[in-house]
Amino acid sequence: MSRVFGYRVVHMWLAATASFLLCAPAPAPLAAQTAREIIDQVDRLMRGESSHGRMTIDIVTEHWSRSLDMEVWSLGTEHSLVHVQSPPREAGTATLRAKDEVWNYLPRADKTIKVPPSLMMGSWMGSHFTNDDLVKESRIVDDYDFEISLDGSVDGVEVYEFTLTPRPEAPVVWGRVEEQVRKRDLMPTWVRYYDDDGTLVRTMTFSDYEMMSGRLVPTVMLMIPADKPEEKTSMTYHELEFDIDLNESFFSLRTLRARR
Amino acid sequence: MLKLAARSVGRNARRSALTAAAMVIGLALLIFSRSLAEGAHEQWITSAIRIGSGHVAIQAPEYLESGKLEHRIGAVGHERALRAVESVSGDQVLAHTPRLSVDGLASSAASALPIRIEGVDPEQERAFSDLDEKVEDGRYLEPGDRLHAYVGVELARRLGLKVGTRFVLTAQSAAGDVEGQLVRVAGIFRTSIPEMDQGLIHIPIETAREWLGTPDAVTTVAVLLATSRDTDRVVSELRDALAGASDLRVLGWRQAAPELDSALRMDDYGDYVFHSILFAIVALAILNAVMMSVLGRRREFGLLQALGLTGAQTGWVVFGEGLFLTAVSGVVGMVLGFLFTWGFFRNGLDFSGLVESEGAWASAGGMVDPVIVPTFHSSQVLLSLYFILIIGTLASIYPALRASKLDVAEAMKFDR
Amino acid sequence: MASDGVWWRVAWRNLWRNRGRTLITASGLAFGYLSAVVMVGLTDGMVAELIENGTRLMMGQVQVHSAEYLPERNMHHTIGGYDGVDLEALLARLEANPDVTAAAPRLYGGGLLSSGDETKAGLLYGVDPDREQQVSTLLSRVSQGRLPVPDAYEILVGVEMARQLSLSIGAEVVVVAPASDGSMGNDLFTLVGTFETGTPAIDANYAVLPLSDLQYLMAMDPGRVHEVALTVTRAWDTPLIASGLAASLEGSGPQFEVTPWTDLRPELAEAIGLMDAVNYLIAGIIFSMAIFGVANTMLIGTFERRREFAVVRALGTTPLGVGRTVVYEGMILGAISLAVGAAITWPIVVWWHNSPPDLTSVLGGFSFSGSQWRPILRIEYSYDTPIICAVALFLTAVLAALYPAWKATRVPPADALADR
Repeated sequence: MSRVFGYRVVHMWLAATASFLLCAPAPAPLAAQTAREIIDQVDRLMRGESSHGRMTIDIVTEHWSRSLDMEVWSLGTEHSLVHVQSPPREAGTATLRAKDEVWNYLPRADKTIKVPPSLMMGSWMGSHFTNDDLVKESRIVDDYDFEISLDGSVDGVEVYEFTLTPRPEAPVVWGRVEEQVRKRDLMPTWVRYYDDDGTLVRTMTFSDYEMMSGRLVPTVMLMIPADKPEEKTSMTYHELEFDIDLNESFFSLRTLRARR
Repeated sequence: MLKLAARSVGRNARRSALTAAAMVIGLALLIFSRSLAEGAHEQWITSAIRIGSGHVAIQAPEYLESGKLEHRIGAVGHERALRAVESVSGDQVLAHTPRLSVDGLASSAASALPIRIEGVDPEQERAFSDLDEKVEDGRYLEPGDRLHAYVGVELARRLGLKVGTRFVLTAQSAAGDVEGQLVRVAGIFRTSIPEMDQGLIHIPIETAREWLGTPDAVTTVAVLLATSRDTDRVVSELRDALAGASDLRVLGWRQAAPELDSALRMDDYGDYVFHSILFAIVALAILNAVMMSVLGRRREFGLLQALGLTGAQTGWVVFGEGLFLTAVSGVVGMVLGFLFTWGFFRNGLDFSGLVESEGAWASAGGMVDPVIVPTFHSSQVLLSLYFILIIGTLASIYPALRASKLDVAEAMKFDR
Repeated sequence: MASDGVWWRVAWRNLWRNRGRTLITASGLAFGYLSAVVMVGLTDGMVAELIENGTRLMMGQVQVHSAEYLPERNMHHTIGGYDGVDLEALLARLEANPDVTAAAPRLYGGGLLSSGDETKAGLLYGVDPDREQQVSTLLSRVSQGRLPVPDAYEILVGVEMARQLSLSIGAEVVVVAPASDGSMGNDLFTLVGTFETGTPAIDANYAVLPLSDLQYLMAMDPGRVHEVALTVTRAWDTPLIASGLAASLEGSGPQFEVTPWTDLRPELAEAIGLMDAVNYLIAGIIFSMAIFGVANTMLIGTFERRREFAVVRALGTTPLGVGRTVVYEGMILGAISLAVGAAITWPIVVWWHNSPPDLTSVLGGFSFSGSQWRPILRIEYSYDTPIICAVALFLTAVLAALYPAWKATRVPPADALADR
């Protein structure tokens, strides 16, 4: 099974990358803090939070391209619900993740099926995001060592560039991760993923920073694999709200079925 | 009477030698072919079994069907299993090894693939399986290794792994959580068995236990025997030893690896047909030889009777001669066949010219190396001897009967 | 110098002087002939059975794919690319080849099958049931229920998969499969039957759907298939037939790849090559044993007739003449054995071919190399084998007579007479 369900989709925008997490608080004077401290602070802030939003995912591959509209709820890192709204062929498909169980609701069959973790593989919904991107149960600060590799101006914009090196035993496939953050508002601009040999594997870029629910966030994320530059996946947020009234009982099979 | 028969054989030395030669060659061929087939067979079983779960596997009762981590053996069960294995009488047990196996996912920066992860004890595993000899690059696991993995060549290709590359194993832990584990490639192996080369990973068992949250646990205690023919005996011995342990189940390889069992039965069947025919041919040759050696000697037998032997006694002489001839050639043939096989091919007979694919001829999780080392079994040798004697006896009956019913006057009448 | 005819007559008479010995030798040779023909026939039968079982359960003897499909088996590389082909026209074109006996289109998919709490990954096999039955035997292995009917959301799964998903006939199965447009195809199917091939890997992993249903599930047009499988008239000649087919499909339009089973399953082809080698080995053993038997008999015969030879020699016959009669004896013996051998062999082979003994009850069925195998001792006969064996037999007899003949020429007139 190459492409299975996005059972952890919600975490994509919670935890897609460390840099995304950087966007949450108001900019603080970086000088006083190390890179590690900043990232740790942001990571902590984002955990245990509830959210709800709408987004569109556009995927272009060698063989097909498609666009999905979906609505997403999340609570902490262990609960999420994704509901596909269009295209018609897939409208109604929903994925529930509660703790370590993953359920899918299939509207055409009008059934829910439980998906064993061993069948969850690689890419998420055929996109260029992996399931691993979408869920980061371990904290980024636990997995990586951080280092500011650049503190200066690039194309007229003041930025920091961080180099994230996985710790010796961290369960991370990357050999190295680099990311760029605007100094002005600590918004991420790109993240580059390298393999063990130092070869670029893929690049994620951020754009269209907007205020949503009182916070500044990049509303568009674009992922491009280095070996297939003509392919890409982009995620665009249309609505996003934080700290809403949600509890664990919402993430149940009943909700999964009722949401069709 | 025996003396008479023996002397009769001796007197017709040249004729006897010719007759014996036919039998000797036939038998030598038979021995050679049987030992070769047996060797290929044993090799196949051994190769599959050493990578697989051994001649005998001790597992939790539900594990064979479920393959799930929840059906594992804890420290107590493991201890009990080990004690039982060590109590097996004689020296049938060559080695045993603990395994903690789980199905999971291997992800690298390039891709992710489903795989079977086996936590092994590097030292015991090295003695048990020959996977460590199939190394293509790097090395096998060593004691003290922690975040090391030994992966198949095809998996390495698909995941873009080299020796030293980091990658992540993901599986469901005993607690039900999906857990990741970082490992680095220590070595890459090539078995030529596609399922192994693309789907098997060895990691140190302590790493697996820590990762999966199963301290001291194993899923299988695999036992390697000196020969696969001891399997049933050891299985029943272990079952007796573990009779009180309802949490342990003892499986022979035929049960634990049904696919291999099927393939071997197919092979058995081919051998069976082949050797039946070979037996028939050899039997015919012997029959022909014995008959030739005693027919057409009417005058001689007539003389014996004229000298005072009864018809029955003459018959016995002829019968004895045939039997004697068969027995002697039988033994000589077997010794010759044995010597021939051992002398020329004790290091194996190379069939690689007949097999096009590189490496080995792999099937059903096992492989037959194109270099086949013949194997002998005493039971088989005895069976062949028994068979030869039966044929010799049967072949001697007819000439003996004829000799006993000889008309003496008629036989002596004309001089040839 | 006597004419040749006399020597023939002498040889003939000599043979019948010791009837018992001649008969034994002749019957030995005849049996040798019988066993050689039967053995070769048996091996050919096993080979035919292997090819048939190896190719007919699912594979087919020739497969036609898009040039890009193998070896990755990417779902998107259907015949004719994204647009597919005019399937009926393609099938008609393939079946127009006189060597092709049947053609069946197929579509493969990977997916999840789920029922209740159980979910399992499986291989989805989309077929045209009518055509498929002419190419493979999978659909004839239905152990329970019946075959699925197109456009009714019906599915057939292996018995082991049914067991793992706790399915019984009539149960609902959710099938989820990645579709060609990147979406997740899903539908509810009714289990109408289970099949049992005896091969665990197939019984546990395969689900059969009508082609059109799988195309719909995978969002593919009706003209899109991954494979057309063919059966051909002469299985062993498949590589040749395949290259002929490939040539006929060449030209503008979609690029095809035509693969014979020998390339799809090289280990099977190798096993068969090995069996052929064994065949020669056995035939060699049979005839060398026969040579030995004949030589033995004739040597004894000539030894006993030393005195006679000496007399003939004393009467003025050349050594060559003496030797000739022995060789003639061998030839006559060979001819008689041949006639007898053929007379017993043919009825046996024909009978065996028509009603082969089934050893299933003794040995049980088993699977080998992914194919189900029944221990039927089947015999295949061709016309060349018996003829080759006959020639070999005759040569054996003559060859075997050479040494005794040479011995006979060496009998000195005086010595032999003085012997007695």
